[in-house]
Amino acid sequence: MRELVTIQVGTFANYVGSHFWNFQDELLGLTEVPDGDPIYKNSPLDMDVLYRAGETQQGIPTYCPRLISINFQGSLGSLGLSGSLYEDISLSDPTDILTWTGNVSRCMAEPHKKNLFLQSLSAEEHEILDVSEDDSGEVMSSSQRQVQDKGRIECLETDVKFWTDFSKVQYHPRSLYELHSSWMDIQKFDDYGIGKDVLSGSLQLEEMNERLRFFIEECDHIQGIQFVVDDSGGFSSVAAEVLENIEDEYTNTPVLLYAVRDPGAYTYATNQKSSIGRSLHDAVSFSRLSSFCNLMIPVGLPSLRSGLSPLLHVDDKKLFHSSAVYAASIHSISIPFRMEIPGPAANSTCTSGAMDVGEIVHTLAGQSRQNLVTVLDVAMPPPSLTDEHNQGSILRNLHPLTPEIRKDDDDLLAVESLVVHGALYSGDHRATVSQVKDSVRVAYQTAPAKPMFSRLSVALCPLPIPLPFPSIFGRNVGRHGELVFNSVQGARSRGSLEIESIPMAARLRSSTAIMPFVEKRLGDLRKHGIARGAPGAELLRTWGFGRDEVQDMGEHLSKLLMGFDPHSQTTSDSD
Amino acid sequence: MSLRVLNPNAEVLNKSAALHMNINAAKGLQDVLRTNLGPKGTIKMLVGGAGDIKLTKDGNTLLKEMQIQNPTAIMIARTAVAQDETSGDGTTSTVLFIGELMKQSERYIDEGMHPRVLVDGFEIAKRATLEFLEKFKTPAVMGDVPDKEILKMVARTTLRTKLYEALADQLTDIVVNAVLCIRKPDEPIDLFMVEIMHMRHKFDVDTRLVEGLVLDHGSRHPDMKRRAENCYILTCNVSLEYEKSEINAGFFYSNAEQREKMVAAERRQVDERVKKIIELKNKVCSGNDNNFVIINQKGIDPPSLDLLARAGIIALRRAKRRNMERLVLACGGEAVNSVDDLTKDCLGWAGLVYEHILGEEKYTFVENVKNPLSCTILIKGPNDHTIAQIKDAVRDGLRSVKNTIEDEAVVLGAGAFEVAARQHLVNNVKKTVQGRAQLGVEAFADALLVVPKTLAENSGLDTQDVIIALTGEHDRGNIVGLNHHTGEPIDPNMEGIFDNYSVKRQIINSGPVIASQLLLVDEVIRAGRNMRKPS
Repeated sequence: MRELVTIQVGTFANYVGSHFWNFQDELLGLTEVPDGDPIYKNSPLDMDVLYRAGETQQGIPTYCPRLISINFQGSLGSLGLSGSLYEDISLSDPTDILTWTGNVSRCMAEPHKKNLFLQSLSAEEHEILDVSEDDSGEVMSSSQRQVQDKGRIECLETDVKFWTDFSKVQYHPRSLYELHSSWMDIQKFDDYGIGKDVLSGSLQLEEMNERLRFFIEECDHIQGIQFVVDDSGGFSSVAAEVLENIEDEYTNTPVLLYAVRDPGAYTYATNQKSSIGRSLHDAVSFSRLSSFCNLMIPVGLPSLRSGLSPLLHVDDKKLFHSSAVYAASIHSISIPFRMEIPGPAANSTCTSGAMDVGEIVHTLAGQSRQNLVTVLDVAMPPPSLTDEHNQGSILRNLHPLTPEIRKDDDDLLAVESLVVHGALYSGDHRATVSQVKDSVRVAYQTAPAKPMFSRLSVALCPLPIPLPFPSIFGRNVGRHGELVFNSVQGARSRGSLEIESIPMAARLRSSTAIMPFVEKRLGDLRKHGIARGAPGAELLRTWGFGRDEVQDMGEHLSKLLMGFDPHSQTTSDSD
Repeated sequence: MSLRVLNPNAEVLNKSAALHMNINAAKGLQDVLRTNLGPKGTIKMLVGGAGDIKLTKDGNTLLKEMQIQNPTAIMIARTAVAQDETSGDGTTSTVLFIGELMKQSERYIDEGMHPRVLVDGFEIAKRATLEFLEKFKTPAVMGDVPDKEILKMVARTTLRTKLYEALADQLTDIVVNAVLCIRKPDEPIDLFMVEIMHMRHKFDVDTRLVEGLVLDHGSRHPDMKRRAENCYILTCNVSLEYEKSEINAGFFYSNAEQREKMVAAERRQVDERVKKIIELKNKVCSGNDNNFVIINQKGIDPPSLDLLARAGIIALRRAKRRNMERLVLACGGEAVNSVDDLTKDCLGWAGLVYEHILGEEKYTFVENVKNPLSCTILIKGPNDHTIAQIKDAVRDGLRSVKNTIEDEAVVLGAGAFEVAARQHLVNNVKKTVQGRAQLGVEAFADALLVVPKTLAENSGLDTQDVIIALTGEHDRGNIVGLNHHTGEPIDPNMEGIFDNYSVKRQIINSGPVIASQLLLVDEVIRAGRNMRKPS
């Protein structure tokens, strides 16, 4: 087995993670439906890669994500820190105080109310216990159920305050970690330095590392670590500290790092001072994070509404919406990590192109350029292979989720890894693996600029849309993600009630397209941090970086760029 | 005012209003923490929005849990928490003392006195009190064999303020023995060498000291023994798993066969490392029934585990980094980073190694070691918040023992020092001071009484009666503290109530500094987003 450990750091990262685990939970659920779709039932995706099997003290088996989620104290909403899975109900009342015989005073925070969706989840849990005894009992009619589902979905559309509000996954008690930040204004947790302050002098970092050790110790053949960080604020430095420890302790375990940020992270910068602070934060956190991982994927567009596919109607103001798109893409990228590695002769009909994290790192970042910063593109959903509606090939429908990149990039030395799963042949007929392969091959042949090297992974299993998925699809998207252009009826945007699953295509691209992204950060660091009399030098000092360290960061960034153009080596040093 | 020009919206409080804001904040914080103090204090149960429970009687923990907004209160809280970081205790006392200094000052300031004069008086009183502390402290000689009784008394005094008596007394022995176990002559005490491990199991009274180490993981092979006696322990940081080196090295293979070859070569290297360990095992264990245990900081993959299991070796992977150091201190031998040149001298020894399983959690006990210089306090409790509270108390207990050994002195507790110091200030020091600063000395002296007063209050006694009784007894020439059961004066020396010298010293030092800063404020400018909320 090739285990993958997931780490989520920061608010938006946990929103993304919550959707990601909802997909996994949905997949797990679909394999258990007695007469369900065989595509899920016989899915060759190995969920043990992401999940761990455990057991409570009472001997009840559990199956939980192999996950560490780090966020602020109080960011879990109505979800208890240690989850409900390992609770021992048989024990005495937890509110009995056994260690003190004197006076007791109780301070109760106002309990977070569970929303309609979470209420129905916990009701279902009890229901399962009841129904199994008495199957003939009244079964809710489908229309009744639909009304109920509608209510649940509406409550999520209007009111998601915490990432736990739409999570249907049960977490291991060691998974959720709250960062204690005594007497600090959470609003101001927005730069690299403040994250450092929170960790300094406390045992919190050690505790996080201990939790990671717990999950890694159980792994026989860990293939890598999937790290999602919200790098728009102080959590970058928290993540960097955790990553630094990973580099020390688990030296040869590859780390796949997604730096995610929500559209809201682009809005503020009201005056010059704060705008310098922002750009220095971006430069520093990019430099630090990229130095501790094997492959970095910065994602987060300033707007998903205008920047992305016309098939999607994403409300940029809702984290619940934007995070769903990123989660779906991360899910697609992770599909090849879970395919069974075939023997030399076997030729699976369900999947093709299995690889582990090490291989993808090697493919994209290990080639001559050694570029470890890649662009993520996604087609959500891609058109059918026969292209009935003249949407063009899958390749043409891939839209970047990485900001600040070169749009018309025709890099002949680019390296790509494309994942297509659940693709449709025509209408809502699923395409076979070989059909997808052929179609992509043709597309590449006819494309104006071909990459130097491209790798394709194909799976039959589409992306299932779980109930707590936001209604972000346009009315042109059909029940199975097919494109429907003649329909006029229906709501403005469609969600999990109307759509069961969609095909997905996602691509990691290591090419010169990323250069503006890196150049901007290097430029900002030089202008505001390194240059003589730079306005941000003092700020960097308060973040705990000496002049030498800042210069090292600058060198690290220019080294990243040098890979693209070996000739620039001589000139890039001039400020 | 340049700042006012820059930000016309900033809200400016004038001097007197600012001063009262500070005083009120200090009093407010004092009110929150005052019920915590002493063995009759109130424990606090904090229930979060999702029903998570936190239990604490520790001022430090409570302060950190509080969402403090007021900048003055934050300043006081920072000082108090810093107090805990340097000396391990005294958070509540610091907050109480600062609050009381502000309260006493308020009286004088309302009568028209300038804060500056008070602050001068504080400074004189502080110096005098520190001098007095030097005379008052009880020296405790810590030679090669420390006086265990005095250590126990200090630890008990601390623990009884956090846990009920029977449990506190049980833990007293545990923490004292733990510190004495790891203490090396002429070296500073590193409390990290006491591992604190917990099990969610049974009852709090099952908490015990393990002279040896408890690890929170077990072997990962079904054929390895779950219990072994007379074990050689190999502590190492050597990777025993096949890792794909191509991830980091830009190594290319051009066909499948080459790749297979590379994989095989990699695997061979790992196997060779394992074989070297097995060789050593065969050397030291042949002809006797000793066992062999590897505790590795790096990973061990299933093929390696297989080889080791077949050789009768117990292997643990991914040990805590700190346990490498602890294991060597507990069992002897050395931590090795390579399997080349392994000799018998690298090995440690333990009389007993066994595994304990609780659901999915495994624990490995390494016990019966010779001359341990590292040990484990194993905390048991029925739920997480009980465990967490005991853990906090144990940490405080350990610190108090360490402080005593390093201070080579203790201070009589139960309010005895505060009463004595106050009388000293009022009867002797005040006379030597010129002019109005006398009043500052007096305010300081009265503020010291906050400790016995609060102890009395928490025990349900009348504070005035208690203070009169204590000062009266003191003026008769006896050193007395408060009996929290009866309210009568007692001799803390007889009762074995002792506090840490360094903790007291720091409270006296830092309290007046913060109070002075808060008193000397000129004006407060509040600007930014959170100005006054419209009410």
